[in-house]
Amino acid sequence: MTRRKSINEPSRAYRVFQGINGLVLSCVVLVTLYPFVNIIARSFSGERQIRAGEVTLLPKGFNLTTYQIVFSDDTFWRNYGNTVLYTVVSTVVAMVLTTCYAYVLSKKNLKGRGVLVGVAVLTMFFSGGLIPHYVLITSLGLKNSVWAIALPNAISVFNLLVMKAFFESLPDELEEAAQIDGLSTYGILLRVVLPLSKAVVATMVLFYSVSFWNSWFGAFLYMDRIELMPVTVYLRNLIAGATGGTGAGAATEQLSQVAANIQAVTIVLTSLPILCVYPFVQRYFVSGVMLGAVKG
Amino acid sequence: MKNAGQLSRRQIVAAAGFVGIATLAGCGGGDGGGDGKDLSRKQNGAMNKYRAGEQFKGTKPLSFAVLHNNNPNYPAKSSWLLWKRLTELTGVTLKPIAVPLSDYEKKRSLLIGAGDAPPLIPKTYPGAETAFVSSGAILAVSEYVHLMPNFRAKVKKWALEPEIDSLRQSDGKYYLLPGLHEKAKAGYSLSLRTDVLDRLGLTLPTTWDEVYDVFKAIKEEYPGRYPFSDRWSTNTPYPAAALFSYLGQAHGVRAGWTYLNQTWDAQQEKYVFTGATDAYRQVVEYLRKLVEEKLIDPESFTQTDDDAVKKLLAEKSFAISANPQELVQNYRYNLERQVRGAKIEMVTVPIGPAGPVVLGGARLENGMMISSKALDSDSFVAMMQFVDWLWYSDEGQRFAKWGVKDVTYTESGGRYRPVDGISLMGSAPDAPKDLQRDFGFSNGVFAYGGSWALVSSSFGPDERKFQDAMAQRKQLPVDPPHPLRSEEQEQATLWDTPLKDHVTQNTLRFVLGKRPLSEWDAYVAELKAKNMDQYIGLHNKAYENFKKAGG
Repeated sequence: MTRRKSINEPSRAYRVFQGINGLVLSCVVLVTLYPFVNIIARSFSGERQIRAGEVTLLPKGFNLTTYQIVFSDDTFWRNYGNTVLYTVVSTVVAMVLTTCYAYVLSKKNLKGRGVLVGVAVLTMFFSGGLIPHYVLITSLGLKNSVWAIALPNAISVFNLLVMKAFFESLPDELEEAAQIDGLSTYGILLRVVLPLSKAVVATMVLFYSVSFWNSWFGAFLYMDRIELMPVTVYLRNLIAGATGGTGAGAATEQLSQVAANIQAVTIVLTSLPILCVYPFVQRYFVSGVMLGAVKG
Repeated sequence: MKNAGQLSRRQIVAAAGFVGIATLAGCGGGDGGGDGKDLSRKQNGAMNKYRAGEQFKGTKPLSFAVLHNNNPNYPAKSSWLLWKRLTELTGVTLKPIAVPLSDYEKKRSLLIGAGDAPPLIPKTYPGAETAFVSSGAILAVSEYVHLMPNFRAKVKKWALEPEIDSLRQSDGKYYLLPGLHEKAKAGYSLSLRTDVLDRLGLTLPTTWDEVYDVFKAIKEEYPGRYPFSDRWSTNTPYPAAALFSYLGQAHGVRAGWTYLNQTWDAQQEKYVFTGATDAYRQVVEYLRKLVEEKLIDPESFTQTDDDAVKKLLAEKSFAISANPQELVQNYRYNLERQVRGAKIEMVTVPIGPAGPVVLGGARLENGMMISSKALDSDSFVAMMQFVDWLWYSDEGQRFAKWGVKDVTYTESGGRYRPVDGISLMGSAPDAPKDLQRDFGFSNGVFAYGGSWALVSSSFGPDERKFQDAMAQRKQLPVDPPHPLRSEEQEQATLWDTPLKDHVTQNTLRFVLGKRPLSEWDAYVAELKAKNMDQYIGLHNKAYENFKKAGG
């Protein structure tokens, strides 16, 4: 009677543990999800309800004025297009350079490998400072072009090291076999190593694209015209105008509404594309980082 | 062998680094030469006899780059009538470098620091130029104001010399062309729920003693609520910055937003430490009294603006600091929709022990820095004439503010109005066009300052009443110039911040009753330990030196 029914049947204690576990984690999910749901609700709510603090999970006094104002502005769309362009170009450039660099560094027999790693790591601790950086970009003639954004941030050292660790974890025998079958160095990288590294590549693409998507400082520094700015700069400026004391704006319902939920609208608009992509990349993301970190 | 090889590589890297540094240093020292005073070869496009009140028109087509503060409420468009008409009038094409308003100061510093700034750098507040003086990147405009007849005429006519003198650096020159006001424009004051006052049979207070009585009466009616809950305590280094500022003004002392560690004492003819003056103590005591008797919400000094306004709208408080825009667009607009019969008015700043005064120095607006590199251009003279016309002539100021007569505005008997179909700051909400957004006029980069008639021409009724009353007040004298040399400036900055912090913290502790006012002397002793006397000594010495040098 007292015998266990089956080895697969979880013990009572384990089930209790799982129950509590689930409960605690659900709470964590709620706590982290709530602010975001609240933001979405605010972005669709009326100004009076927001000011009165009535908006929690669902929109109250449904209102699209702020969205309409933002959407009806040509500059917004042009800047949104810029953001897509800058993100795509920068991510492609960054992926090509980071992959090449990381692959090279993963070869233990490479001479001067320590120096190459050192050069990269040095930049994690020291930088030239803002003004020299600006002078460099300007004198290279990169100002007002996508390269001013793509090139300076092309290699993130953290991403580089994660990738390097991943490549190092691939068995040498694989590459030796490919070599014997007559593949060149590039052939090995493109046909053997990369197809096996989808997880880490997807992770890096995600890391890079999210950081380029959200970045505004580079564009703010190196772009002189409004039509070259990414949408992050546009929205940042909009917030400053709506909430700052400087704006002697109009006493219209419109502006009042905009001031009330421009931040919420902004957050929704900028995070939406990333939210759409995330679920598809996420499975790689989890395994990718793990693979890079725990090798062997 | 291998070891030696690696060492040499390192040496190469080090050597390359040194070469790089040397080159950079070389660049920095290279461009200093050339006599700036000889302007005979910089006359390209300039008018021969340009006088005050005369229309500037370049003899050749000219083009100047200008840093443009891009306001999201009216983002720059190349189709603006402003650009087109300006070129027609003056022959000058302006090339704007758009910088988002959100981070204008950051980019300005960067461009100046990197030597990449355009010749015209507007929207610079008096004092902000000091940081750039020692780099030599900014032109000492005082050497060239003889090219600017309108600027000089206005300084003379409105007796702005003391204000201009206050801009002088330790070399006796000034580096900023400030915006000039005929009369000081007041910003902030107290606003009160007048319907509540009426119900209780009270009148709008005119002095701080009456303010106390009014609050007291409201408290008796609503014992559970605070009569006054204030804002402008976040995103500013000072708590309740606006309240301290206009309450301080009534005591003749700079506090809150306007706080400066040094105050000119006209009787003793020297600078004294603001946070240790009797006037400052009176300000603190007054607020302590309000807090102690629960007339002001103690959260006033910490809460966000939003929270303060929410309390007003929820009738948890009946008074709040205001400026004319906030009064009309925020408080009144929202109160009328949420509280039946609610009325709110802004009072002229209540009078205190200092009498009906306003602080000195408020007649200078943000203005223009000129990049040193502009002096190398052969059209430098024309550029200065152009700046003089657009920013300082009556005609140029009217153009920047209102645009083109009968196209964007009409004027009769000194009353300006946008033409039908054009709105200015919500004057006609249904109008299809907006003077700022669609035409580029009344743009903060070009339009500010000027005669009282021009400045007041765009006031709403509330603001007009408030400003007219405030314009009657007597202006306290401007602090005499006391420019610090750059090494003194550095030393002063090191002392300045800890002193300011100590004053701010203890002001709050005194007001909230966390520290009894009997410890005032101990507080002053703490300031002394933080180099208060040395700090003031530095400023007094600078003042003496400047006076001796014939300033």
